[in-house]
Amino acid sequence: MTLSLVLQALFAGVTNGIVYALVGMGLSAIFKGSRVINAMQGEFAVIGAMTTVLLLTKAGWPYAAAIAGGAVAGALVGAFIEVAFVRYMAKKSASEDSFLLLTIGLALSLSASILYFVGRDGHLLPPLGGEGVLIVMDAVIQFHALWLIAIGIGATLALRAFYHRTTIGLSMMAASIDADGAATTGINVARMRTFTFVLGGLLGALGGILVTPLIGVDYQLGLNLTLKGFAAAVLGGLTNPLGAAVGGLTLGLVESLAIIGISSSYKDVVAFSVLIVIMILMPQGILGRAGRRGG
Amino acid sequence: MNSRTLLWLVPCLIVWAVLPFVVPRYMADLLVFTGIYTVAGLGIGLLLGHCGIVNLAQATFYGLGAYASAYCTVMMGLPSIVGFIAGAAISMALAYVIGRPILRLTGYFLALGTLALSAIASALFFEWDWLTGGTLGIGGIPKLDLFGFLLDRPSRYYFFVWIVAFACMAVAHNLVDSRTGLMLRSMRDSSTAAAALSIDLQTLRTKVFVVCALFGSLAGSLFAHHASFVSTQSFTVDRSISFLLIPVIGGATSIPGIVVGALFVTFLPELLSKLGDIHQILFGLALVAVVVLMPDGLVGAFGRLRTRLARRGNSNG
Repeated sequence: MTLSLVLQALFAGVTNGIVYALVGMGLSAIFKGSRVINAMQGEFAVIGAMTTVLLLTKAGWPYAAAIAGGAVAGALVGAFIEVAFVRYMAKKSASEDSFLLLTIGLALSLSASILYFVGRDGHLLPPLGGEGVLIVMDAVIQFHALWLIAIGIGATLALRAFYHRTTIGLSMMAASIDADGAATTGINVARMRTFTFVLGGLLGALGGILVTPLIGVDYQLGLNLTLKGFAAAVLGGLTNPLGAAVGGLTLGLVESLAIIGISSSYKDVVAFSVLIVIMILMPQGILGRAGRRGG
Repeated sequence: MNSRTLLWLVPCLIVWAVLPFVVPRYMADLLVFTGIYTVAGLGIGLLLGHCGIVNLAQATFYGLGAYASAYCTVMMGLPSIVGFIAGAAISMALAYVIGRPILRLTGYFLALGTLALSAIASALFFEWDWLTGGTLGIGGIPKLDLFGFLLDRPSRYYFFVWIVAFACMAVAHNLVDSRTGLMLRSMRDSSTAAAALSIDLQTLRTKVFVVCALFGSLAGSLFAHHASFVSTQSFTVDRSISFLLIPVIGGATSIPGIVVGALFVTFLPELLSKLGDIHQILFGLALVAVVVLMPDGLVGAFGRLRTRLARRGNSNG
């Protein structure tokens, strides 16, 4: 095992970790705001990426506009799901499990829709910052990976600022901590839940768009991303979207170290075993109680 | 069993006995799958309806049963009963070892823990190709031979599968009706109160999980002998999800509900596939509709409808 191999693995781990972090942050934002585990979080990534691909190749939009379009598509689908399904079920005080099953059903429908309307082929987006690579001590890093890391960190900081500095963000936090209390101070709790889903859809779509130059997007990508995003969110403590960022990075690094240590085919086995062990031994996430306060 | 139960049970049994001879072959095939899925779904129904546990790992045990049967009969040339027993023993041991720690989780965490388990198992089935044949699978699994009577046609295998399914239903029924069943229900409705009555929740939950794994493995072995070919595609996370749908759609607390759910999961995709490729979307939407509109499943919704009609009848009369 040479140094450059380790370095290469670290870069790959951080790159994947940021993607898991974005999906996990969306999942965790939705859980925080609505107590719904969104089993279709990965589908948001697929919707975002697929919309961007179609706008770019079929409609001929410029790349930046197509990316914005993809992100908006994710946000809109998020809003639609809250208004059309979650609101109705919450009114009938459906159980935790029903929400899980609802989102599983939606994930099946969406992945089948992508298969039906777009086909089974994978699609790639052009890398941001061109095809160039950076070589550090024989380890190769694509420029795109650097962009991905920068945007991921930017999104995490923006999310933190959003929750702590803006009125809407503070209202969303208030509604999630104490719905009745928030309602008495004039916060529209149901609307905050819609915003939560918009935020979740946006973050998921962003993760999907950023990963697509590295891994082709197809109808099957969603489930895997959901699982990884959930692992990231659980590692971070589930109710803390910023914890999910730490969780995602940890997961990405563990995975890439497993690749050089064991074998690339055991990547998922290691990642999911870590998830199970952490859930049993550290139900508060790797940040512990401190993680609950943040975000 | 009173006369009213007999009144609907006897016609049901007659229909059941005649069915494989009157329907076309592909439908008899689907009915065999309904039986297999009923067995697998029963275990999940026990966990969901009586312990409040969402098990998304059934494809793991289904796979273990199927591979045990395939490996024992094809690779080692042993009689098929050995495969059934080996699969069941491995599945139950695994369920016990994994169940003990994982069942300490609750709610979402448990559901996603079992989902992660299924993802791990499906990756291992794929990797351990010396055992499972990987994507190429294991072919040429012999048809079951019952004292010289070869179960080589769907219409014959149908009876065998369904008799196994009825036996499993009887086991599930007895479990639910017994002292254990009462303990389970008290645990589901108020785990604190149950613990205060010195019910060992951990052991109880593990026990049901082991029974669920046993049913899953049996279903897997039945599947292997029916399909004659097993490969990794049959034991993915998607399969775990569709197994979970059986009790969800039918109604987790009722045993007939499991049969309804199994019929739904096997027949609806087949019927919808006549509409072309769009059928998968429709299936997903049908699931969403059931979850949103009928939280107790089809059987629960039917029961409520009947109560409402009866009430209306009374007020009129």
